[in-house]
Amino acid sequence: MKNSLVIQNLTFAYAEDEPNIFQNFDFELPIQNFNLLVGPSGSGKSTIFKLIAGLYPQYRGIKRDGKILLNGQEISEVVPFERAQHVSMLFQNPTRQFAMKTTFEQIVFVLENIQYPENKIVPKVNEILETMHLNAFKDRNLQTLSGGEQQRVALAMTLALDSPIILLDEPFANIDSKSRIELLHELKILQKDHGKTIFISDHDISNYDGLVNHVYQMNVEKKKIVELSLSFLKDTLLEQHFAQNTLSSSQIFSWNHLGFKSGDRTLLNDSSLFLPQGQIGLLSGDNGIGKSTFFAALSHQKKYTGSILFKDNPSEKVRLGKWAKIVANIFQNSSDQFIRLHAHEELELSARHSLRSDYWNDNRIKKAISHLNLTDVLNHVSYQLSGGQQKKLQALAVLIMSQPIMLFDEPFAGLDIDSVKSLMDIITETTVDLELTSLIISHQRKGIDNRVNYELIMADQKIRRQKEF
Amino acid sequence: MFTHRLNPAILLIIMLGIGLQITFARSFLTNVAIVIIGLSYLLYCKISIKLISIMILSAFPVALGSWWSFIAFGTSDVWHVGWIYASRVYAYLFLGSILTLTVPIKDILLSLEKHLKLSSTFVYGILAAFNLVSRIKTQYKIIRYSATMRGTEYHLWNPGLYLRIIIVALNWSGDLAEAMTSQGFTEGGARSSIYHDNLPFWQWLLSFVLILIYFFFSFIVRPW
Repeated sequence: MKNSLVIQNLTFAYAEDEPNIFQNFDFELPIQNFNLLVGPSGSGKSTIFKLIAGLYPQYRGIKRDGKILLNGQEISEVVPFERAQHVSMLFQNPTRQFAMKTTFEQIVFVLENIQYPENKIVPKVNEILETMHLNAFKDRNLQTLSGGEQQRVALAMTLALDSPIILLDEPFANIDSKSRIELLHELKILQKDHGKTIFISDHDISNYDGLVNHVYQMNVEKKKIVELSLSFLKDTLLEQHFAQNTLSSSQIFSWNHLGFKSGDRTLLNDSSLFLPQGQIGLLSGDNGIGKSTFFAALSHQKKYTGSILFKDNPSEKVRLGKWAKIVANIFQNSSDQFIRLHAHEELELSARHSLRSDYWNDNRIKKAISHLNLTDVLNHVSYQLSGGQQKKLQALAVLIMSQPIMLFDEPFAGLDIDSVKSLMDIITETTVDLELTSLIISHQRKGIDNRVNYELIMADQKIRRQKEF
Repeated sequence: MFTHRLNPAILLIIMLGIGLQITFARSFLTNVAIVIIGLSYLLYCKISIKLISIMILSAFPVALGSWWSFIAFGTSDVWHVGWIYASRVYAYLFLGSILTLTVPIKDILLSLEKHLKLSSTFVYGILAAFNLVSRIKTQYKIIRYSATMRGTEYHLWNPGLYLRIIIVALNWSGDLAEAMTSQGFTEGGARSSIYHDNLPFWQWLLSFVLILIYFFFSFIVRPW
């Protein structure tokens, strides 16, 4: 049977009293093609995916007009176990898509949902694990896998469902470039050799050239998506160069013989290094190598051996309450950072407790808010903001605190290039003006390379300074 | 051998059938009998002595408290009532532990779904919640630390802390519900299942007989 997925004259809003996100929007998904959707954060990329997966308006929003047809039938009227065999989806936040404990149990769960014959379930799961090279993860607790590994499991689920249409909503937000290229390669095979339809949204358009058949862009003004020419994917390579080759010699933060483990696995062993003051460093390394754990150790959230020094004094005896005012950790998961309900309350709280309130006056805060394009969402509940808006709000809230040491863990994940640049503007300005020591973990390099002063590479249980730049 | 163990559904029926009666029974000796039988079953299932000891010790303050309150403040037959209430705590404890200590939560839920027609939405909701427990613990630490970083202290008694945890959990559950739907989970829909367990007829009979025997002794014979 030939599949089709068609949107006819759709008008959709998040709530009764809110403006339309889509208006009189028509679209037909090119079947058996590799399709890419780009657009700034907060423009509604996730929303369109959830609409065509039949999750909205069931879970959120109001469809004011129009139809979304799966093989000619209104998708919201198709029962989930049938729908899943036609359209399946990978979510932006990989950790929250698993109901079961282990990889094996999760894929079994999916097959049971579609009433797969009982005696064929276990062989089928084993076959899928084999295809996706997930055998080593079969009985691992899903919550302990890295983001990249979790997305591979999620992709394995879509194979279990055998759905011809696979939607991927920003699936690479927290994934390193190596895993990203591998996953893209696997998706291409699925499309070419297995006739799957791929529809993927991404803020980052690198590696797609030559891979995709159609590129679409969210157009916020027109309230619909428009098709772009494939040449859009071409001239994206920016020259990589760092701002300054000389490292500042002034430093207030360093570590000696630092080491830590995750379970039995040693992640870092006997590392000694300092971070220059008033400059921005980039910390890179493969997925799961221990970069976030390193930040957790620096902020005293994780046990380590050796010593971390602030102004040449060992920090091990410093109370956590005091240390939290010296080292700030901007978490990978933005919502972990929020401690109030609304966006404006988060910023007000920071302004009230800022360590550099002389610098962060009302005017500067207001300017930063508008530079990050957050002015219109200040009255919203932080959790309801889009993934990208949450990232920007989170980073700003901590920047206003202005701890002398700032550790950013994937602050640009899911941001469009303009947002990356504006956020990087503010990070740079604050770091230089207040002589902070900033270190950033980021898989996203475009738009930040020219602002970063040095790079640290984490590999083989060591952290070394990259000299070539 | 697993096959000689009781099915979780049967254990639940025994637990409810006898547990309800314990509430009304006024007999120390039948409570002791439950403790002895429960303990024997735990040992038969090779539950570690250490775990059993911890369980017994942790309930001790409760048992002592109810025993002492009857001795000190009760009227009429204070010793008898005191011992009934103290032993009742342990009777409940052992009755519960024959289910919860011998069968993993996943098997309990799947067995109840299969044999007692528990709704699958409930079963998978609870399972997902259990899988989230470790993350909630981590989340608690993260929230306290985030607050400290922003110059605010969240203490254990601070309602704001729990509000945050609830909001986070609600968000997780919302995302998870969407994910489960997209994975084909249908509320009230038919599913296949690879969960198989043994529920021979004699186990139904056993639960029925045990409940009746308990009824007979505690309400008709009524030993001390």
